[in-house]
Formats: sequence, C-alpha cells, structure tokens
Amino acid sequence: MESQHHHPLWTRTLHACNGALLIGMASSGLQIYNANPVFGGRAGEPIPSLFTLGGWLAGGRWWHFGLMGVFAFVLGSWLLLLMQWRRQRLGRGGDLETLSASANAKKRNYAIHKILYTLMLVVLSLALLTGLAMYKPATLWWLSGWFGSWQQLRVLHFATVPVMGVLVLGHVLLSLKLGGLRLLRTISW
Amino acid sequence: MKRRSLLQSALGTGGLLSLGGCALNPLGQEVAQLTRPLNERIEAWMQATTPVPEFKRNQVEPAALLVNSFNGIPEINLDNFSLTVDGLVQQPQQLGLSTLGQLPQQEIVIRHVCVEGWAAIVAWGGVRLADVLRLAEVSPLAGYVAFESADGYFETWDLRTALHPQTLLATQMNGAPLPVANGAPLRLTSPLKLGYKLSKWITAIHVLDTLNPHRLGTWEDQGYEWYAGL
Repeated sequence: MESQHHHPLWTRTLHACNGALLIGMASSGLQIYNANPVFGGRAGEPIPSLFTLGGWLAGGRWWHFGLMGVFAFVLGSWLLLLMQWRRQRLGRGGDLETLSASANAKKRNYAIHKILYTLMLVVLSLALLTGLAMYKPATLWWLSGWFGSWQQLRVLHFATVPVMGVLVLGHVLLSLKLGGLRLLRTISW
Repeated sequence: MKRRSLLQSALGTGGLLSLGGCALNPLGQEVAQLTRPLNERIEAWMQATTPVPEFKRNQVEPAALLVNSFNGIPEINLDNFSLTVDGLVQQPQQLGLSTLGQLPQQEIVIRHVCVEGWAAIVAWGGVRLADVLRLAEVSPLAGYVAFESADGYFETWDLRTALHPQTLLATQMNGAPLPVANGAPLRLTSPLKLGYKLSKWITAIHVLDTLNPHRLGTWEDQGYEWYAGL
C-alpha cells in the first residue's frame, strides 16, 4: 500500500473521458425518455430535469445520436483490446470459485472487482445492441427480434442506466476498499 | 477513510453536473451539426431497397397507435378532393380518390415508430407511392420529394425511400377506411421512416432536384433530423 504508484496519465484521462461519455449518453437518453415515459407512456412520470441533457426531445436526440458513434467506437475498441491483450482483467469462472472458496479477503475483493468490471462491459454492450435495435428496427429487424416486444426493448435499454449506476458505484467502492482513497485519487486526478 | 468528505464531494459533483447539463444544452445544436451528416449518410447506406419483413395481421396493436398532430384536424372537402403530383415530372397529375382506387392496392403490416419512443404495429392499406410517381413519369434529374398537407404540415424525403415498395399512400388502417384523425383521405406510411416523416392529409406531391435547407419539413426546420430512417 505504501508504494502505491500513480496511475499513468492515460488511465486517468480515459476514466475522465469514459465517465463524461457515459453521463452524456445516460442524461440525453433520459431526456428522450421524457417525450414518452417507458413506464406509463404519456401519463407516466417524467425524469427530473436535473438528470436530463438537451432541454427538449430534439436536443436530447442531438446529444444521444451525436455521442452514439463515439460510444460505439470506444466500447468496440475496449472490447477488442481486452480480448487481445488484457484478458487477465476480465472476469472468468475461476473468479466465481475464488468468491465462494477463498478465505483470503483481498483475493475475494479482486475477484469481485474483475467480475464487476466484466459486467460493466456486458451491460454497455447490451445498451448498444438495444439502442441499435430501436434506432433501426426495420433495417436491423433481426436484431430487434432478439429483444421481444417494443416495450421489452425499451425497458431493457432503459434498465442499462440504473444497472450501470449500481456497477459504477460498486467499482468505486471496491477501488476504495482495495486501494483506499489514494488509489481512487491516483485514478481520477 | 473520510466517508463524509467523499459523500460531500459526490453531492457536489452531482450539483455541478446538473448545472453543467443546463449550460451544455445550447451546445447540442453544434454536436448535431458535427455528427448528423455522417449519421444520415450511414443511415441511407444501411437502408434496404428491397422489402423489409412484415408482421402478421393478428399482431396489430390498435390501442398502441397514438395520435399526434401539430395543428388539429383539418377540414377536407372530399367531393372535389384531388392529389396534385407536379415538379420534375413529364406528366403532372391531378388524381381523384377513385383514380387512386383503381391502382394496385397493397397492405403492409409494419411497426409505426414515433420519435417520442413509442411504437405500434399497424396494417396500412393503399397504393404504392412508386406507382403514383410512375404515372407522373419522374425526371431522371429528381432526387427528392416534398409533401404538402391540408393542415399546412410539410415534409421532404429522399426519392429512394419514396420509391421503396413498402412506401404507401394509405387509405386503409387495420382493415377499415382510414380514420380522419389518422390522416384520411390520404397519408404516407412506410416501415423505413419515423412517424414525423409520415405526413397525414396529403394534398400535393412535388418532385424536386434539390432541397431548400431552410424548408426541409415542419419539424426538421425546428431541429429534427431530416433522414429519420428506421
């Protein structure tokens, strides 16, 4: 712990950019949500403007579809890079065993962290796929077909926001537990 | 570990973010101008010129189809109603409803998707827009089609989607005559465009070679995307 090295600049930059990108996608998505709430339709409860970006439906769409390409590119690159060179970062079956069998608290925490990290990529991929399925339901009809009815598709796409919120919170709390506030600091600034 | 200070900084960040969100709203237009041309080009490139798969007739969702109108329902006198087709065509047309009724009729069961996020599976019946345009003999110079509606609504489309075999001028909905609220006597429908492209109460079709960037459509001129493909 004493010899905690500072994370390289690129790690910190990527954390900041990815965080901003996810907040931008989520908040503009919640703006679009308000045009016709997924839960309750026109009679449904809108998301408070505190959490929305864009100001009105078209404004939300400018941001959401403006950032969409960047989001797809970043997520795609991340997945490719991890699969090629950083496989040890991804969770695997062994991590689940560690979780249930190991008495070593630190080992368990690392296993949880890797699983969380991997789950984030799974949820973000789901966000991209359900988003594409709603963006191009006629052209990508086969993709839209995977997710059942339109309402199920909308619920799934929306659900990626709170689920990612929980996973990011877990990621932050575990970083704190593993490396203390100092690790968090070295990662974020 | 100072949990309280962490909580405080988290709350502070949240506050800053929401302030930042409001401040960022005017920037959205810039984001759109930067990214929309590429998005629209990819959309046009992706879009099929062949028919897309349809739903089954028993899958229609009549209750899910909401009614949107920017200016109420217009009064249309059906006795002397005719559809104008002009612009870059060899044979400008004035087509009465009975003439349109003599053209081949087609039913499509497709998903009608609104920009607001809701969608409904609808069975639309009518004539292919391609058949109507063929009657008028569209010039090879043409690239776009403009639609005028009785309520003042205005739309422009790319000619390619207008000629798609599932783009119809509908007179029927779910097996019954098209209700006035849904655009009777004539409305556009297609599985390939968002709902705001699907003009109701159409009175005139103009074939164009170029678009006026300040007159792309009622909602497009307010900031909605022009291509709006599905």
